[in-house]
Amino acid sequence: MKMKLLSTAVLSAAMAFGVAGQAQANDFPSKPLTLVVGFGAGGSTDIQARVLANVLEENLGQPVNVVNQPGAGGAVSLTRLMHNQDEGHTFVYAGTNGTLTFAPHAHDTEFSLDDFRYVASITTVQHALVTGENRPFGDSWEDLLDYARENPGTSYATQHALDRLVIEYIMEQEGLDLRIVPTSGGAGMAPLILSGDVDFAYSGGTHSGYADTGEMPVLLGMDGERLFAFPDAPTVMEAGYDLDTSDFRVVVVPKNTPDAHVERLAEALEAATQDERFIEITEERILMPVHFRGEEEATEMLHAQSENYRQLLENMGGVPEDD
Amino acid sequence: MIGFDAILNSFAAALHYESIAIILGGVLLGYIVGVIPGLNRAVAIAIAIPLTFYMSAYAAIAFLIGLSKGTAAGSAVSAILLNTPGEPSSAATCLDGYPMASSGKPRKALKVGLLASVIGDLLATLLLIAVAIPFASVALKFGPYELAAILIFALVFIAGMAGGSFLKGLAAGGMGVILGTVGLDPETGAMRLTFGFAELMEGVPILPLVIGTLALAEMFVQLDEYRRNKDASVIKLGKNADDDLSYQEFKGTLPTIFKSTGVGAFVGALPGLGPSVGAFMAYGLAKRSAKDPDSFGKGNPNGIAAAEASDNAVIPASYIPLFGLGIPGSVSAALLVGAFMIHGIQVGPLMLRDHPEMLFTLFSGMIVASLLMLAVGWYGLRIFARVTSVPPHIVISVVIFLCLAGIQVQGYGTFGLVTVFVFAIFGYFLKKFDYSFVTFLVAFIVTPMLEMNLRQSVILSGGEFSILLERPIALAFVVFTVLMVLHLGWTSYRRWMQARHKAKQV
Repeated sequence: MKMKLLSTAVLSAAMAFGVAGQAQANDFPSKPLTLVVGFGAGGSTDIQARVLANVLEENLGQPVNVVNQPGAGGAVSLTRLMHNQDEGHTFVYAGTNGTLTFAPHAHDTEFSLDDFRYVASITTVQHALVTGENRPFGDSWEDLLDYARENPGTSYATQHALDRLVIEYIMEQEGLDLRIVPTSGGAGMAPLILSGDVDFAYSGGTHSGYADTGEMPVLLGMDGERLFAFPDAPTVMEAGYDLDTSDFRVVVVPKNTPDAHVERLAEALEAATQDERFIEITEERILMPVHFRGEEEATEMLHAQSENYRQLLENMGGVPEDD
Repeated sequence: MIGFDAILNSFAAALHYESIAIILGGVLLGYIVGVIPGLNRAVAIAIAIPLTFYMSAYAAIAFLIGLSKGTAAGSAVSAILLNTPGEPSSAATCLDGYPMASSGKPRKALKVGLLASVIGDLLATLLLIAVAIPFASVALKFGPYELAAILIFALVFIAGMAGGSFLKGLAAGGMGVILGTVGLDPETGAMRLTFGFAELMEGVPILPLVIGTLALAEMFVQLDEYRRNKDASVIKLGKNADDDLSYQEFKGTLPTIFKSTGVGAFVGALPGLGPSVGAFMAYGLAKRSAKDPDSFGKGNPNGIAAAEASDNAVIPASYIPLFGLGIPGSVSAALLVGAFMIHGIQVGPLMLRDHPEMLFTLFSGMIVASLLMLAVGWYGLRIFARVTSVPPHIVISVVIFLCLAGIQVQGYGTFGLVTVFVFAIFGYFLKKFDYSFVTFLVAFIVTPMLEMNLRQSVILSGGEFSILLERPIALAFVVFTVLMVLHLGWTSYRRWMQARHKAKQV
């Protein structure tokens, strides 16, 4: 009798634990989460990530720690994520353009697009080709092209291999002879443009800060849609170049992350994109539109862009080899 | 435009006890972070940004500015007492600070450092207030040509100052240049000397390098000394009558402090050069213009004053292009832009139009922060000076732990730890064989900037030297550099002749 009672107890305990075990799988997240930023602290990605972490924390009911893993334009953080076995408790907030869709073709990255799942894309980068005030060609792309044709040696400041490839493609299409000057980041580009030392430049988002003063007009928007703060500037596509240079910020997890976890994260992210605080910091301060796109759509966009870059690289003969 | 009343009001706001408490909190936290070798200013600000989410915009910014200033003052403490700079930019402070402290005058060294920090910081803050808006555009006159010329000048100037064996200096500088070229080629994007490590694509990370060569290596050296001689490496904090700063001595360092503040403010106002370049340039200038240059490096208070005044002057000055043009002049300035953004303020020329009260409250907050820094530092040094009475085997292991923890906190991972150890061993041998780590460090820091600006100049000008005639500032620095090289060549030739002469006489 006693024996029976005990075994019942054991059985029921086992059942209870079994149920609990099952519930745990659905109870994602079961421990604190880590949001990895592939850049140093203080940049626009980092600021967004910190606000995002705050908002996600409330929705997921677990602390979300922001960790910076800078290096190689975000590639270091993704390389590390690849081997992560955390089942979605660790995720990277990454830029797509360059890091995910371009770098694997151009550089010898350890990862490829297929190594990850893309939980969702939540904001759109407002990068552009910009110029300064009082330039002889004003702020019109057409006039710049005319000016550059008449003045060989018109100067352009580049920041990445990707924008250099784009400008080289445009040079070839339009028959231009530009002097391409390297610079690093918005802080390197802004003085060159504001002082007039360089005629036009790539800008990852710095120009948004000058939207009100008009000191840094946009020639061409590099997103698929017209820029938020510069609705009058045409996009690269509208100017007649068949290039998909749009850049999204996506939340990335390793390939082996269970479906249930990805879904739960996506749900929290969707809620975050409707949260006042996240919208305010992203749309009003950093001037980036918030736009939620689920896993399927985000993955599709990434693959299409990756293919577009592969072809472009093939046509342009690739990036310089290291030797 | 903002009226005088409004300016007074903003000062009143900064003097409110709540604001003072917040700034004090920032300065205190910054001071502690500054003292700890592994943690630096950028990390402190980055970690503090989320803390400020719940503060008002003014409180948040005041807190961060206090933090930023506190780190600069705190980093001098570990530079002087342990010979391990709390911030890379305090490396120059070690040169005279540690010799003075180890000769039994740690309090005096700390006081010189603190006073120079506060004066440099305060004067540069006043300069910022006076010129930020009207004269910020002058910084734009310094384009790639001018910056390239200034960087070459700085490199020659600092290398010339380091002294010691010419060949060893050249070797140390060469190592710095080689390490400075690691990473993606800025023009072609080709990988240089990365050996397949993605972590090296953006260059050798500066923090592990500095912590390794300066802090960890120094701990190894001290450990080595401690092992041989259990009493030698301890700085004794006795009742040494000589261990206090007299007014006369303080007055003696004032000319150096003013000159160095000027150097620091100039370097800070130009985007991208940073406090390390400023501190070393000021140190070089002080040594060069001193009557007794040979006493530098052996505990000359002017050496400490020059490095600290300039290091601290760079920070407020780096806000000149930030508030005037929206261009962050330093890493900490870039982080502040982020903090401003979170609190709804777009940093840049529009601040004066859209948030004038904010700007002036901020300025007054900065002045309050300077004064609080003096108070915190004055009492802090009494406490921190006691580090010297802690047994070295405890201090050394704690510092090593903090260095490694700092690297880990900043997300460099295993790669960062390996880098730190590689450079610790490298730095150990630099010190053991008396190679100038100043030349090495400055060459490493300046190389990427110089390469970028030089390449920009060559491309923009189409390779024409005649461009220099259109850029008088650049031309002037090229001429200075040539004169400097001639001067260095002439003095070393004369010294060599003298030595030979003496040898003959003997």
